[in-house]
Amino acid sequence: MLEIKNLHAEVDGEKILKGLNITIPKGEVHAIMGPNGSGKSTLANVLAGKEDYEVTKGSITWNGADILEMSPEERAIAGVFLAFQYPVEIPGVATMTFLRTALNAVRVGRGEPELTTPDFMRLVRAKAEELQISPDMLKRPLNVGFSGGEKKRHEVLQMELLEPSLCVLDETDSGLDIDAVRIVSEGVNSLRSPERAMLLITHYQRLLDYIVPDQVHVLSDGKIVRSGDKSLALELEESGYAEYGEQAA
Amino acid sequence: MDMQANALTTEAEQGFVELYDAARAKLPGADNAWARELRDQAMRDYAAIGLPSRRVEEWKYTDLRRLLGEAYAPAPALSEALGHDDIRAILGDGLAALDCHSVILVDGHLRHELSDFGFAGDKGEAISLGEALATPPKWLKAGFGKVNPPKSEAVLALNAAFMSDGIVLRIPAGLEITKPIHIIHVHTAKRPVGITTRNFVSIGKGAKVTLIESFFSVSDAASQHNVATELDIGDGAQVSHVKLQCENQEATHLATWMTRLGASAGYRAFQFTTGAALSRSQIFLAVAGEGASANVSGAFLLRDRQHHDTTLVVDHVAAHCESRELFKAVLEDDARGVFQGKIEVHPHAQKTDAKQMAQGLLLSETAEFDSKPELIIFADDVVCGHGSTSGQIDDESMFYLRSRGIGEAQARSLLIQAFAGEAIELIEDEVLRDVLLGIVANWLTKRNA
Repeated sequence: MLEIKNLHAEVDGEKILKGLNITIPKGEVHAIMGPNGSGKSTLANVLAGKEDYEVTKGSITWNGADILEMSPEERAIAGVFLAFQYPVEIPGVATMTFLRTALNAVRVGRGEPELTTPDFMRLVRAKAEELQISPDMLKRPLNVGFSGGEKKRHEVLQMELLEPSLCVLDETDSGLDIDAVRIVSEGVNSLRSPERAMLLITHYQRLLDYIVPDQVHVLSDGKIVRSGDKSLALELEESGYAEYGEQAA
Repeated sequence: MDMQANALTTEAEQGFVELYDAARAKLPGADNAWARELRDQAMRDYAAIGLPSRRVEEWKYTDLRRLLGEAYAPAPALSEALGHDDIRAILGDGLAALDCHSVILVDGHLRHELSDFGFAGDKGEAISLGEALATPPKWLKAGFGKVNPPKSEAVLALNAAFMSDGIVLRIPAGLEITKPIHIIHVHTAKRPVGITTRNFVSIGKGAKVTLIESFFSVSDAASQHNVATELDIGDGAQVSHVKLQCENQEATHLATWMTRLGASAGYRAFQFTTGAALSRSQIFLAVAGEGASANVSGAFLLRDRQHHDTTLVVDHVAAHCESRELFKAVLEDDARGVFQGKIEVHPHAQKTDAKQMAQGLLLSETAEFDSKPELIIFADDVVCGHGSTSGQIDDESMFYLRSRGIGEAQARSLLIQAFAGEAIELIEDEVLRDVLLGIVANWLTKRNA
């Protein structure tokens, strides 16, 4: 179970999260929606352990463990995974080298043996094919020359490989056409399990047509201001975020 | 006017003159008038200018006059008995596995019993510099010192004055030498020595060759290695040229490459530097024939108080040519890396396409990267560009890797390897590329230790 209690966080002295509370039991998928600047991406980065984000108050525990005490790599080993909104391009690091290094680091951290190269190759190829990631893409440097959609599919590929127990997806649908949303959603849905919790961070409800959440929360000015079932997302789609502090476009 | 009195002020500067006087009669070619005059003239040239100081623009960041404390006497010919197994151990498994023609120089003296000279074909010629100076072939006399030489260059003058050995090679037109020629320099002397080597390579039209120059120390003692290579590349020839400098931390390494590229010829050069306390690599490249293309790149990894300077001058003399340069410097502790890159496009060199990039990665607060790119363009229809960056390891990249479970040290290593790797990937030979990536990985291991 993910428990976030009274979370306050700031970046460069600017207070962004101002007392956020949320609880996601194992097996559930929750969505956080909210206007731009409400703190959605800050929450994602705080969960993954980005150093620029300072938690000034509150707690985050995952299955009872205090993750705020952990380094980003320790969190990954403990099962936390953030699918980035903007995955960084790293020229010079081969995608396959990266995937193998990450997978083995996580496996070793969890007390499992490293995968042999043939086993690793088989695993990646099978998962990549499901996500329609071409072998050519995997030969490129990490995220370099990937389209927006390819980057997001690659994030989901990593998620499938690392088998996290807490998946945080930050605007995974942004910049995707409808076919790509479907492919990505199928990948995410295949990971739904009674042992796994998921947090979807999104501005639009479109993704939630494909990954149907158990609960929807509205984040505004650093706090959860409303929670409800999936119908809340549709309501927001109708009315927009005007009442939550964002000007209508 | 007595220029010597004005020019030679330091102990090292005067030391070279005294050492030359003492060694002159014993140097290879001492009985040959041409060789003798070549050396004497070089010494006169040196004496007129002395060692370069920071007042010489090209040496602004590497004040050799100040940095060179004394001049070391030329290394004696025979120091240690080395066998093939020793050479393999010195090279390491990766490089030893490279299938090549090896030419071995120990303390600047060519060891015929360890070397393989069978690569020039019936119509070509491959001899040692020592032999060539004693009985110089006509073609050597005609070309020596004339392949795109820099003006008033004291280091090069000292090279000609003291040169002891190296290879003199004429590759006939059309010959493709399939295996790389690997010139391996090993420093063994237990006392401080001067090592001066010189290579002269003339490559016929349409010929194809890969030349590798590598530098290793088995001794911990200090040394001053001055090496120069002239490369005259004929029309349509394809040449790969790689330098690997892994000398010990007491070494001074001064290298000069002079290259002239004929029409439609291709030249791919790479310099990898991780050794020596003080090193300078000067590369003078004339893109002299129409339609030629060159890629000159490199990487240097330095730590402690190491100082390395790559100074590159590319002259675009002919039209429709292309040149590319990518240099990467990884610097930690108090190390200092210098890159000076000058591209000059001459008036007739229309349609020149020249691009240069130098990037420094600073791993400590006290490391320093000095980069001076220069473009001088006298033609009006060209595409030229240069860039330079200097920075630290990117926080966003670090976070991305760590968020995937990769530990901090390993993530840093991956990013440093990636940074240097971008340049190393330009090397065509896969074995060589892997050897260099392996050296980078090894360098990083020492870092994390």
